[in-house]
Amino acid sequence: MAEPQPVAPAPVAAEVPPQRIAAALVVGWLVPGAGHAMLGRLRRGIVFFVLIMGSFGLGLAHDGRLALYSPREGFLTGLQLVANVGVGPADLLARMSVYGEAAYVVPETSAPNYRQRIETFRDRQRSAVSAYGTAYLWSAGLMNLLLLMDVWDIAKRRKD
Amino acid sequence: MRSHFAHLTLYSGIIATFFSVLSRRDRREQLRFGVMVWLAMAGGVIALAYLMLPFPR
Repeated sequence: MAEPQPVAPAPVAAEVPPQRIAAALVVGWLVPGAGHAMLGRLRRGIVFFVLIMGSFGLGLAHDGRLALYSPREGFLTGLQLVANVGVGPADLLARMSVYGEAAYVVPETSAPNYRQRIETFRDRQRSAVSAYGTAYLWSAGLMNLLLLMDVWDIAKRRKD
Repeated sequence: MRSHFAHLTLYSGIIATFFSVLSRRDRREQLRFGVMVWLAMAGGVIALAYLMLPFPR
């Protein structure tokens, strides 16, 4: 009778070096889906890029809210800003195009750019489709932040 | 685009596709999960709207 052969342990995938994890996270924030592509999940990365940038584009086209941080409502406006900024530098480009500058905060009422910034903000909010646009914009940012957590899990071999 | 229904279907489609690709690996599983999420979102909204029909503004 043949002796049972010892079963070889399943090969354990090598851990991703910390520098590469950090790079994948940064690149993933800069370009949605690129973190996955960096870790060898190119097809998934492309799908995520299309979904997130599509949602972001729809948000801009429908006058979605590019939130401004206001100390008077710090918590809520802070969360809104996180949802906007989550999408990466595309948010900065959108702000440059909409506000004419990198606007992230409601300026002091005495500031020379106060009126112009607030008017731009309110004009977009008055649009009939702004609520839809805001949903698309903030979802794009939040989806990208979720992707960064997914990149972390893939790099730590907690997930395929 | 101003149609509530078009936005409902499009937004649900984006979210359903995102979560199916994020949480499932097998192509058939992704399709099943995506359709379920889409139906839950779109169907849930339509059901809620139907329930609210007797209570106009």
